[in-house]
Amino acid sequence: MKISYNWLKWYVPDMPEAEKLADVFTYHLCEVESVEKIGEGKEQDYIFDINILPNRAHDLLSHQGIARELSGLLGIKFNDPTEMYKIPVSTETKLKIESQTENCRRYTGRIVRNIRVGASPEWVVKHLASVGQRSINNIVDATNIVMYDCGQPCHAFDIRHVPGEKIIIKNAIEGEGLELLGSEKLKVTLKNSDVVIADGNATTLGIAGVKGGLHSGVANDTTEIVLEVANFDPASVRKTARRLGILTDSAKRFENDLSPTHCDYAMRELSALILEMCPDAQFENIVNFEQKPPEKLHKISFKTEKINNLLGTKITATDIAGILQKYAFRYEQNGDMFDVEIPALRLDLVSVNDIAEEIGRVIGYDMLVSVIPSIDFAKKTNEKNEKIKKIREKLLHNGYCEVVTYAFCKSGVVEVAHGTGGEEFLRTNLSDGIKKSYELNRLNAPLLGLDEIKIFEIGNVFLKKDVEETCVAIADKKGVKEFSLDEFIEKIADDAELSKILISQKRNEVSDFISAFNAKLWQKREHFLPWSHFPFIARDIAVWVPENTDPEILVNIFVEHGGELLARPPRLFDKFSKDSKTSFAFRLVFQGQNKTLTDAETYTIVDNINNTLINKGFTPR
Amino acid sequence: MGTQHPLSMLKNEAYQIFSDLGFEVADGPELETEWYNFDALNVAKDHPARDMQDTFWIKGEEGKVLRTHATSVSARMLEQSAKEGKHTCAYISIGKVFRNEATDATHEAQFFQIDGSMIGENINLSNMKAVLLNFYKKVLGEDVEIEFRPSFFPFTEPSVEVHAKFKGKWLEMMGGGMLHPNVLKNAGFDPEKVQGFAFGGGLDRIAMIKWNIPDVRLFYQGDLRLNQF
Repeated sequence: MKISYNWLKWYVPDMPEAEKLADVFTYHLCEVESVEKIGEGKEQDYIFDINILPNRAHDLLSHQGIARELSGLLGIKFNDPTEMYKIPVSTETKLKIESQTENCRRYTGRIVRNIRVGASPEWVVKHLASVGQRSINNIVDATNIVMYDCGQPCHAFDIRHVPGEKIIIKNAIEGEGLELLGSEKLKVTLKNSDVVIADGNATTLGIAGVKGGLHSGVANDTTEIVLEVANFDPASVRKTARRLGILTDSAKRFENDLSPTHCDYAMRELSALILEMCPDAQFENIVNFEQKPPEKLHKISFKTEKINNLLGTKITATDIAGILQKYAFRYEQNGDMFDVEIPALRLDLVSVNDIAEEIGRVIGYDMLVSVIPSIDFAKKTNEKNEKIKKIREKLLHNGYCEVVTYAFCKSGVVEVAHGTGGEEFLRTNLSDGIKKSYELNRLNAPLLGLDEIKIFEIGNVFLKKDVEETCVAIADKKGVKEFSLDEFIEKIADDAELSKILISQKRNEVSDFISAFNAKLWQKREHFLPWSHFPFIARDIAVWVPENTDPEILVNIFVEHGGELLARPPRLFDKFSKDSKTSFAFRLVFQGQNKTLTDAETYTIVDNINNTLINKGFTPR
Repeated sequence: MGTQHPLSMLKNEAYQIFSDLGFEVADGPELETEWYNFDALNVAKDHPARDMQDTFWIKGEEGKVLRTHATSVSARMLEQSAKEGKHTCAYISIGKVFRNEATDATHEAQFFQIDGSMIGENINLSNMKAVLLNFYKKVLGEDVEIEFRPSFFPFTEPSVEVHAKFKGKWLEMMGGGMLHPNVLKNAGFDPEKVQGFAFGGGLDRIAMIKWNIPDVRLFYQGDLRLNQF
């Protein structure tokens, strides 16, 4: 939500500097998306884009809400605007309000006559612009100012479209159409579960809490209006807004459960603004529909000890009293015991945990001292995790590498609703995924420095409805095999059985030498090394060297000539000795980082390597 | 030796770190009931909080979802503990979770989450800070710092966002807080007698930060070029 710094200062003139305010938000209230400086000199303002948390969206999606919160948080003065607004003289009214739905919790209406629709005063235009809103006309702007100022959405209907001066709040007729206000002139089809505002003839004027209808809106020649300041059921507004895909600022506020008591203040502010813009306006009395009388303010009782026990702090009762005073909460204190009366707008404060959060975030969580809990837990091992660990270790030990593939596929038994990307089923096996993985890796074997690809995956499959099983799949040149964890554990227990499944590494003196040598060259990385997306070219080089020559000398020659074009360290793959000479065979893999290498380029490098080898007295084969 | 998938390496390391503090390794199904994924965790039916996690619902099976967080395992384990009369316990669980959202370098329809909870008579938010600091120091290095910032989750109250300072930068790592009294009640505990904390967040994210891996989708390609560590 966008918040203007200057707007906040209306209410809290002693607000800290904008730069400091960002940290106050971050560490004591909510995340700051961005801070933007706009205008110069007297016009300078800072626009904060902040992410109000869902549990405070009912009272903080407004400048006044934020200002009140900051005043409590920082212990600085909040200027209550209520007295500032002039209450217009009002006369008898014939306006009638009737609710035919449970989803209207409150509806206050007021007829205002003799208004003149026109441009808004400059301050209104500027305030709206500061939060990214366009000025429309003075009346519509007044309703918007009230929403961004105090958080209560409001609306104005042209009375010419409210025959009988009667407002009915009711469910829509299934399938009825409505053209909405706004530049897009959107036409929507309503459902019976949608709540609408209708006139005395039951003609729909607008969608409750979401958006007004086009035909009943304020026009340039409008002179008489009905103001609406209401409160609708959050779930109902949310359902309609989501279904229609119209997430207006009004719907966003209603779906977060505004307090019905807030209507009174908003009607007062809205009336005062209209009076300021249209000094000749004639106001009629406010008509109030309430589903039930306002609930009595509830209390939360707690002990200082409980707060400290939840937070792990050593806060005193005096500290807590100080915070309650700064927020102007009414409370009774009896030693360490508190009884706090929760203000109507603070719907989020229900239990002692909520109070602990208030205190925690106000003092700042940096006050928490890290303490490792000293509790002796009776530890149990997890049987399934032990099996997985055992299987992994066995497979890794046998040279199998681990992969993870996608759980989604094109066919199966369990299907997700509204999935993405055309793969809407959960896999019934790991085999299909690992087969693809095998092919991908087989093509890359030289890049990976592997003679052959041997891989495994351990993951869940969805065989039937309600049957989810963790399986292990292995893939190598002999094909793909898949087992349940228990089946595989059984195989592990028997070496003969295991050797039937796995391709074992044949070991001898030469292969041990080769593995040890290559392992020395290929070190584990601390940081990810991105790979090139261009094709690679592998070249084998075999060379006779005098017996007992360290093959590292050869590697140095390869690296010197190959340079950055070597996609990985040269890899020794063969060694044999004859007539007091040793033959070493290496595979070199070349790859461009930013382009496709040509065969010719790699031949040039290989020629240069061969020449160097000859110069050193070695014999390329 | 074959090469290991980085997420598996991190998972085993995390299990070891938390087991050393007394946490018990726990697991639960990926195809979860609405109850353990949402209701038991105090996520109200029509609350906007359900939008915070775009859910894969199962076609033709009312009340079944692909779990959107591993916190469903905490819900199950707490319930089991309450049944067994265990009032002091701690669980750690790492598993695959699913979100129905467009994928990009930092979003994936499937990813791994680490989720932990600890309850007892006096287990508090400062304890959680210590347990998480211990974890991040061991995984990311001794010079790591952490801080809590205000947040909201339906299942914890107070709720915090956990940030870690790694290589001079503060990064959002996970969420956590004190278990909401309703969550304890739903599990079968008396919130007057038992309290505790819970935390959870993406394992992929930790791996990406630790090894500087630029794209979450790399974890699920079945491509061995990823196994560099």
